[in-house]
Amino acid sequence: MAVKFFGQFLVEKGAVSRVDLLKAIDLQDKTNLKFGEMVVEMGLMSAVQIAKVHHAQRSEDLQFGDMAVKLGILTTEQVQQVLTRQRNNHLYIGEALIKVGAMTTAKLETYLKDFKQEQSAYISEKIEIPAGVPHQPIWEMVADLTYKMLTRVANLSFRPGPCTLIDKLPSRPIIAEMGFSGEVSARYLLSATKNSRELMAKAILDETSVENEPVEVLDDSVMEFINIVCGNVVAKAAQTGHSIEISPPAMRADAAEGVAVPADHTGLMFPIYLSDGEVFELTIFVAKE
Amino acid sequence: MKNVLIVDDSIAVSRQLEKIVNSGEEFEVIAQGRNGAEAIKLCQQHKPDILCMDMNMPVMDGLTALRTLMQLMPSLAVIMVTSLGGVGDKYTEAIRLGARDVISKPFERDTVLEMLRRV
Repeated sequence: MAVKFFGQFLVEKGAVSRVDLLKAIDLQDKTNLKFGEMVVEMGLMSAVQIAKVHHAQRSEDLQFGDMAVKLGILTTEQVQQVLTRQRNNHLYIGEALIKVGAMTTAKLETYLKDFKQEQSAYISEKIEIPAGVPHQPIWEMVADLTYKMLTRVANLSFRPGPCTLIDKLPSRPIIAEMGFSGEVSARYLLSATKNSRELMAKAILDETSVENEPVEVLDDSVMEFINIVCGNVVAKAAQTGHSIEISPPAMRADAAEGVAVPADHTGLMFPIYLSDGEVFELTIFVAKE
Repeated sequence: MKNVLIVDDSIAVSRQLEKIVNSGEEFEVIAQGRNGAEAIKLCQQHKPDILCMDMNMPVMDGLTALRTLMQLMPSLAVIMVTSLGGVGDKYTEAIRLGARDVISKPFERDTVLEMLRRV
């Protein structure tokens, strides 16, 4: 058992064929427009304005619409219009399967119930830090910002798993880390798969292909990615009156052996499940107080 | 043509910044460094018109280097580069120490060129 997307679950159960699932995903892609795509379709923003909002989002934790308002590109009323249209048009995968004739409503309800039951151990609807860990709101914010940046900057499709306490981070090909000091003392570690490292590199280097880039540059992009995340953490903490400092990012040389949590720290692990079945983790080593 | 020195410990960021700076006829990257200590050395060696320097670097951070550089070369135009989202004490400190401007990572080409022209 592992984290799955509903479509994958249905194929595995033999409820739908891969071909039907792809048809339904195609229909979803055409129907479920992102906010940026929707504003273009509605004639509210140009491609240049969209790029401006995307760039600004990397430096400040605001949703697309809120950032567009802040930059004076959209009004609050226009944002509401777009959100309403998005909500009204949204097509879930189950509905899409019904529309392409691959599923009935009655079967969908049964499978959805089974799916939720099977996946309950993996799905984290809310970020919850185990009891007894100091500065819980800070670590919730760190995880939240990491997820947002993985979506906004690296364009990754994933599911966050529940936070657990660990003694050792498992062996991974790539682990980048940064230190937090000041009001909190902790290490931020992000592992990456080769695929997710490529996506981060494309975003950081602003290139459509990174096939010919040396490993050094790809690794450097992961470090820069966590630098952006942690920079946002510092900025957001400052907004709520907390003073946090960050140290420069580095790659863990011992990633392949796994990283033990130091004795005077608590290890928080947040699994990140990718749609291709791979998994990587955000881990925070929090100093005990 | 104005000469620009880039100092950032990230190869990825330096490369992106270099591409933007060299994209027009107005500016040219003459050298690159990886930390604050190299920034001081390279500034004395190349005497650039503009220095683009990261704040958060190993060996010597950008603000420490800026403090020294403003004493050695008070007329040097310095743009500090940060991932801190343009808020916080470090922004204020950079401006107070003499940086002409602070730019947030990752960059937008037009914003960088506009800033280079302004300083």
